[in-house]
Amino acid sequence: MEFHRILVPVTGTESDEEAIRLACRLARRDKADILVVYVIPIERTLPLDAEMSGEVETAEAVLDSMEGVAAAEGCTITTDLLQAREAAPTIVDEAVEREVDLILMGASYQRRFGQFSLGNTIPYILKNAPCRVILFHQYSP
Amino acid sequence: MKIVIMGCGRVGARLAGLLESDGHEITVLDNDSYSFRRLPPGFRGTALLGNGIDADALRRAGIEKADAFVAVTQGDNRNVMSCQIARHIFNVPRVVCRIYDPLRRDLFENLGLEAISPTTIFAQILREKLEAPGPQRDALAEES
Amino acid sequence: MYIIVVGGGRVGYYLTKALLAEGHEVLVLERSLTICEALNEELGSICIRGDGCETTTLSEVGTGRSDMLIAVTGDDEDNLVACQVAKHLFHVPRTIARIRNPKNEDIFKKLGIDVTINNTNIILENIEGEVPTHSLTHLHDIRDKGLELVQVRIPGNASTVGKTIKQLELPKDSVLSLIIRKSRRPIVPSSNTVLQAEDQVIIVTSHESEDELRAVLRGE
Repeated sequence: MEFHRILVPVTGTESDEEAIRLACRLARRDKADILVVYVIPIERTLPLDAEMSGEVETAEAVLDSMEGVAAAEGCTITTDLLQAREAAPTIVDEAVEREVDLILMGASYQRRFGQFSLGNTIPYILKNAPCRVILFHQYSP
Repeated sequence: MKIVIMGCGRVGARLAGLLESDGHEITVLDNDSYSFRRLPPGFRGTALLGNGIDADALRRAGIEKADAFVAVTQGDNRNVMSCQIARHIFNVPRVVCRIYDPLRRDLFENLGLEAISPTTIFAQILREKLEAPGPQRDALAEES
Repeated sequence: MYIIVVGGGRVGYYLTKALLAEGHEVLVLERSLTICEALNEELGSICIRGDGCETTTLSEVGTGRSDMLIAVTGDDEDNLVACQVAKHLFHVPRTIARIRNPKNEDIFKKLGIDVTINNTNIILENIEGEVPTHSLTHLHDIRDKGLELVQVRIPGNASTVGKTIKQLELPKDSVLSLIIRKSRRPIVPSSNTVLQAEDQVIIVTSHESEDELRAVLRGE
């Protein structure tokens, strides 16, 4: 199994870093490109092209730190910042557009209404991705 | 008074009984004839099968001569619509509407409907009950 | 434009598709989870599960910045309330309601809904146009002015054939706008235009003058 272009969606959670490290190791092996995207969700109360200065700042900080993590692994990454109504379809679109052959994403343990939950984004991507998907599940004891 | 009640649920049927015993002339409207079983035995008013958001059904219920109209079906929107028809099309002098959703109640109150939200009222009653010193617990304590 | 569609049934679905194709930002509010998922699957995350009459839901989806709300659920009362909430609470400039019961048209107008769309009347209008013996066909309502666009066919044996427009005593509020003849291009009539058999005459008129207009044009 070889990968040439890996897409890593990040959200600013602790599983991001591990996902990037894992992507770097796979990329080194196959000389693959890594594309890291951060999607800023825009509420319906705002137009899609609204100025989200605060969120953009946070997102840029996350992406910068991801560059640092990758550099420590000896990799360079391309980053992208997107604004969208929903993260999941945007990530899938991005994967299609960039002809990505792997989506690698982190999932941290979360509970919703007292039950373990993967949230909405991950199941959507697993269902609709145009390529292989590796889900990196953060272990938190 | 001549009063038209739309919706023969628990509240509608009970209200019909109470108002009738006060000497009012009552017509109850419901779109399910099975609902009329809730009316008190000996109810002498009129029970009519019909859709309360249909102007013709309201006419058959005598809305043109009614002094008051009350909407207590399960649907907030049905209540709102029939009350607006009663108020703005048939000019019924007194119109009261049940709206469960408190926010919608406030809006239509502003738009000129007299509206009651059982949600708000019942939550308040429960709060008062729970925050008042409880008689049951005292009774229990005395027994032991 | 940002357009909110309440109700994702068949009408809502085709409407949304058409509005998206025109490049509008569209959001559908639908109560059923199954319908919601199907819409999102096909049209791409444009549907949110919720009640379009619920003020909290409307506020979350940004009704305050919307240019139009179109309520097309299967229930007249829900469409009415959704439009009223949008109009009075969120000041949406234009509200449109679908009506199932034709009798509700006047009621909705009195209650402040900008435009009502009545399936039954639309179907009737289309059928009228297809029935060849029908003498007057409704083409379009100019709602806020109380006017309508109608088409009258002049039968071959009508007493008005051969008369000029000026000789006809048309109702005061009616304007003869266009004549379409079989073999020719449409013509804008002048007062000296002579009516011919089988002319299709397009007129702007009022609802009240409709019968009089038909009688005058067909010489009945």
